[in-house]
Amino acid sequence: MARRLRRQDPRSDEALVAACNEGDSREAAQAFEALYRRHKDYVLRVALRFVPDTDAALDVLQDTFTYLLRRFPPTGEGILLTAKLTTLLYPIAKNTAITALRKSGRFPAAEDIAPDDLPGPHGGDTTDIRKVLANLPGGQREVLELRFVDDLSLKEIADVLSIPLGTVKSRLHLGVARLRSSDFAKNLDDE
Amino acid sequence: MSDQDANSEQLDEGLIRALRAADEAPAVITASVDRALADMSRRHFASRWTVWKRHGGWALAASVALVAVLAVQMTGPATDNGEILYADVNGSGGIDIADVFAVAREQPGVTQADLDAFAMRVVSLDAGGLR
Repeated sequence: MARRLRRQDPRSDEALVAACNEGDSREAAQAFEALYRRHKDYVLRVALRFVPDTDAALDVLQDTFTYLLRRFPPTGEGILLTAKLTTLLYPIAKNTAITALRKSGRFPAAEDIAPDDLPGPHGGDTTDIRKVLANLPGGQREVLELRFVDDLSLKEIADVLSIPLGTVKSRLHLGVARLRSSDFAKNLDDE
Repeated sequence: MSDQDANSEQLDEGLIRALRAADEAPAVITASVDRALADMSRRHFASRWTVWKRHGGWALAASVALVAVLAVQMTGPATDNGEILYADVNGSGGIDIADVFAVAREQPGVTQADLDAFAMRVVSLDAGGLR
C-alpha cells in the first residue's frame, strides 16, 4: 500500500505560533500539528537526556506538547515568541521529565535542584562519549549539550536555564576542559 | 554568532560529531503517538470555536441587525412627508428592529430622516429608547 508522504509546512515557527494564537479552529490545529512534527524529535532527544527509557521519554513528549497546546486559546492566552521555539520547549521538556522522575521516586523531591543533581544519560550500551558525559557534573553536561548539540548561543543558554551568563561560561569552560582531557578525545586525536 | 559566542569555548569537529551522535534518539515515535497529539490538538482548537460561538453569537446577531438598518437607510424612501407612526407594525408585542423593515416596506411616504431617527431609537441602549 502506498504511503502518503506529508509535506513539511513551509511556514516559520513564528507564523505557525501566530496561527495557533489567532487562526480559526482548523488553521490553528494544522499549525500546531506542523509545530509538533517539526520539533517532536528534538523534544524526545531532550527527554532522553533526563529519563531512563523510551517509554518515559514518550510520556514526556506528550506532556510537553500538551502543556504547549494549553497555552494557546481558549485555555491559554497565547504565546509571544521572542526567541527560537526550542528555547521554550527545552525548559518545558526538562521540567516535565524531572516531574516524571520525582513521581517515580527516581529523583529527589527538593524544590531547588543543584545542577549536579541532574540525571544523566541512561542506557546499557552507551558509547564512549556517553560514558564521558555521564561522568560530567550535570550542569556542565547540560551546557555542553545546549551549546554543541542544540546550537544555542550563550545568551540563549542563560535564558533557557535561567542562570547568569557568567555561570554558563564557567560551566562551558570546565565541561570543555573535561571533555578534551578524556580518553575518548585523546583517541580521536590519535586517529 | 555574536562576538561573545565567537570567543567562547570551542570544540573539535570530531567531538561535536560524537556529542551529536550520542544524542540521537531512537525512532520510537509511532503513528499512534502522532495521531493522539493531532486528535488532542483538534479537540483543543474546536473548543475554541465553541467558545467563540457561545459568546460571539450575540455579537454576530447585533452586526446583522446593524447591517440591516444601514441597508434600510440606504434604500429607504425619500419624501418630504413629516410624521411617522411608531407602532408594533408586525404585531410582535413590542416595537423592535423588525418594525423598521415593516415601516420601510409599508409606508413609502416616510422620509429618510424619520427612518433614521426611528432606527436609532430602536437600537438605542438608553432607558428612554423605545425598547
